[in-house]
Amino acid sequence: MRELLFVDMSTLSIERKPLPEKWHRYGGRALTDAIVYDMVPPTADPLSQENVLVFAPGLLAGTTAPNAGRLSVGAKSPLTGGLKESNSGGQGGHALGKLKIAAIVVTGKPADPAARYMLTIEADGSAKLDRVDAWAGMKNYALADAIKALRPTDDRYSTITNGPAGEAGLKASGIAMSDMKGYPNRFAGRGGMGAVMGSKGLKAIVVSDKGLPYLEHADKEAFNAAMKRFSTALTTHPVSGTGLPTYGTNVLMNILNEAGGLPTRNFSSGHFDDVEGVSGEKQREVTLERGGNVKHGCHTGCVIQCSRYWVDKDGAYVTKGPEYETAWAFGTDCGISDMDVVAGLDRICGEYGLDTIEMGNTIAVYMDSGAIAFGDGPAAIKALKSIFEDGAPGKILGDGAEAVGMKFGVEHIPVVKHQAMPAYEPRAVQGIGVTYATSPQGADHTAGYTITANILGVGGTVDPLKTEGQADLSKNLQIATAMLDALGFCIFVAFPVLDIPDAFVAIFDMTAAHTGDAWDTDELMRLGRETLTFERLFNEGAGFTAADDRLPVWMKTVPLPPHNTVFEVTDADLDAVWDFVPETANAMGLR
Amino acid sequence: MNVDIALFAYLSDHQPDGKGGRHARTFDLPEGTKVADVIASWGLPDQPRIVFVNNRHAPETAELHKGDRLAIFPPIAGG
Repeated sequence: MRELLFVDMSTLSIERKPLPEKWHRYGGRALTDAIVYDMVPPTADPLSQENVLVFAPGLLAGTTAPNAGRLSVGAKSPLTGGLKESNSGGQGGHALGKLKIAAIVVTGKPADPAARYMLTIEADGSAKLDRVDAWAGMKNYALADAIKALRPTDDRYSTITNGPAGEAGLKASGIAMSDMKGYPNRFAGRGGMGAVMGSKGLKAIVVSDKGLPYLEHADKEAFNAAMKRFSTALTTHPVSGTGLPTYGTNVLMNILNEAGGLPTRNFSSGHFDDVEGVSGEKQREVTLERGGNVKHGCHTGCVIQCSRYWVDKDGAYVTKGPEYETAWAFGTDCGISDMDVVAGLDRICGEYGLDTIEMGNTIAVYMDSGAIAFGDGPAAIKALKSIFEDGAPGKILGDGAEAVGMKFGVEHIPVVKHQAMPAYEPRAVQGIGVTYATSPQGADHTAGYTITANILGVGGTVDPLKTEGQADLSKNLQIATAMLDALGFCIFVAFPVLDIPDAFVAIFDMTAAHTGDAWDTDELMRLGRETLTFERLFNEGAGFTAADDRLPVWMKTVPLPPHNTVFEVTDADLDAVWDFVPETANAMGLR
Repeated sequence: MNVDIALFAYLSDHQPDGKGGRHARTFDLPEGTKVADVIASWGLPDQPRIVFVNNRHAPETAELHKGDRLAIFPPIAGG
């Protein structure tokens, strides 16, 4: 019943085909991985017509399952060179789910590099490509307005847009998704997916689900019963029910600082003296003083509601309330303690379509080169804008931290598989170091978020400063996360799921009741392992070896204050994370 | 003995001076005071907590010493 929407940008033709039976149990990341694995030679040039760009909602998209509307974007990454899945909130996931579109698969490349296209999918399922050359170079917020002007005033639609960064083929580019108010402020940020979208001449996708009902279930009563149990777990667990809705993700800033694991000034320390100005508590206080919104969901059906908007001194919308990663990347990592500066940098990234984690790291590395000073907010803003100014030396900034570090001779470049590290220091939080090193996604925190047990005491405790238990922790979380990504869940459901066993049971109860297929713990874990196996095998074909599953050498030799530790998990333990792959690949018929 | 104590997120309302805020204040505590004693006497809410003594995780049974820094967080998380 679910279909694939093939959009060929070489012939400008659109075709719907039934989802192949072999992918019946796949959605989200599992499906984007399966399709990229199936269609893209692993040695392909990511910006050529051989790459595909896949947008897939989760298996439960289009239903009332709480927090199940995430959208996965997949392709071979121009940044990592591996199989990338970039995950976003926003309204597109449930819209595609209600349309019974398992995935949009964009292939080929227009003959004319100046051509720009908009793909529109209407609620009746019809789809068309329109030429929008005049929109070339248009920034995301103006683009959202231009699209709005074309839509009926009573429409219900979501947008997926590509900013100038993606059009320019920059490796740090991401894809913007609209939130419930239509702001293009949710992101598939990591891995240069914007560049892939730009290489295919696709400027925007508009998905209308006006008037479409939620999907029917195989067993409606069983689904509703499981959904209630799951919703109760989400709203009663103190993290998802109180902490996140009150402070948002940036509540993490102070606790990572306390633990000595908050990367400061390009990973030169684990502690930032001036952290108060960019902390989540301060962010909330200032937003309330200025009359801004401090609680909403990023997509319909979210019951956690950790999002907020940042407003200026006059109470006017500036940007989505910076997430922890953004407040860290443009704040702490750059030595900046002014949230208005952070928000300004975030807005620039939102307009141009740039990954804030990658760009914060890039500015920090640029600061470490001496080109501009740590803590200099105006210089950081000027540097970021210079990417798009003719003749400016800043253009290389758009290609990310490693490119800038190499060009300007910086000794400490915090990347794995060419992707810059997020807001947790491996030398003080050994578990996240395992995830950064081993994830097929490159240095990625959400892929296997060991902060749960390493720092937060969720799902048990594993001492962050020791090596014991870290590889197993990372491996199990990577498998579970891949599973959640395939179902379309926001990964913040993991906080209650790790502590409340029935919440996990409710997940497969919902999945079984909706699909009519048998789902249990084993089936869910199998989904996670299969998803990761596609990624590992693709990356192997792309030329990755065990040498790519390592942190930068300096993190094993340079002690990090205040604890003065180095990363010490052994190479053998890192490699053992993938011990399940050969058997899984064999069972999948891939090896 | 002097101990610095900081409370974070919504726990900062429980600072004895009633002024809130995340900055640490210095308190003169009796020798042998445990983390749990501070929690009880300050009336922190009965829910899981995350406790650091001198920037390392510590159990609530831990005994405090002169010059220590104690930091307590409510159950929080993010991404």
